[in-house]
Amino acid sequence: MVLEEFWTWLEMQPLAARIGESAWFPFLESIHVLSAVFVVGTVLMADLRLLGWYARRYPVTVITNEVVPWTWGAFVIAAVTGVGLLLPRASWYVANPAFLAKVVLLLLAGVNMLVLHFFALRTQRVRLQMTTGACSLLVWAGVLLAGRWIGHLS
Amino acid sequence: MHDTIVYLLSNVPGLPPIVQTVHLLGIAVIMSSVVLLDLRILGFALPSQDVRELTRRVMPWVWCTLPIMLLSGLPFVIARPQRYFTNPIFGIKFALLLPAVALAAVLHLLTVRKPDYRGTKLLATISLLLWIGVVLAGRWIAYVDYLLPEE
Repeated sequence: MVLEEFWTWLEMQPLAARIGESAWFPFLESIHVLSAVFVVGTVLMADLRLLGWYARRYPVTVITNEVVPWTWGAFVIAAVTGVGLLLPRASWYVANPAFLAKVVLLLLAGVNMLVLHFFALRTQRVRLQMTTGACSLLVWAGVLLAGRWIGHLS
Repeated sequence: MHDTIVYLLSNVPGLPPIVQTVHLLGIAVIMSSVVLLDLRILGFALPSQDVRELTRRVMPWVWCTLPIMLLSGLPFVIARPQRYFTNPIFGIKFALLLPAVALAAVLHLLTVRKPDYRGTKLLATISLLLWIGVVLAGRWIAYVDYLLPEE
């Protein structure tokens, strides 16, 4: 109940109205898509290296150390623009199954990344690195699919 | 052809978002490959990866993904041609895409065959801007009314 009031309260904020009623919405959305595809593309590169299908002349950590900071930069932009997109229709999004699936998949991607950084890379367990790479590929493709599906549900 | 595609897109549950996600995954592969290569050429990214080796590693992904882009984009154009061919943003997307693809081929050849060529950094900057423009224009096709409101 309190949560529902919070989503409605968010929608009534002046910033939410400004985004929802202007070209800000499509502008933010295009930046969101641009940064999101860059997140997924750079994650894909790291995943392919983890799986050993790509760039094998470099150690795994060289690829992850050089690629992942760009992923994070793009992720921050995607997150900020994503919140901007959420504001004008917050209660619609939180009731949208595709949006909820996307949130769950993003959390799974986060858990997968923690496993990679704190277990697989530190202990140099190659099999676990390959597993996290494969999981990451599937989960991030799922994030794109769920994200794209949001707009198809009315 | 048109009727079959319209039938499939409207009757197979989830087909439109699935095909669009294939298109998005393709954009992810092409964008990140080209953008990181451009950033590497400009000296901003991937310092320990050799430019020539990086080109040989990422560019085949770009060339193999382009046909997938065509296959995953075409059904929507065939289904609703008037939505795209009367849309100026769609025209802008292709006006940016064609030079972007040509420039990617030029950069591919230059970095492999003439690594000392001086204009490469300028070309990489143009390539970066073109590809960002392609993605933004692609998303804005659906928002043509915001950009160019009818009188």
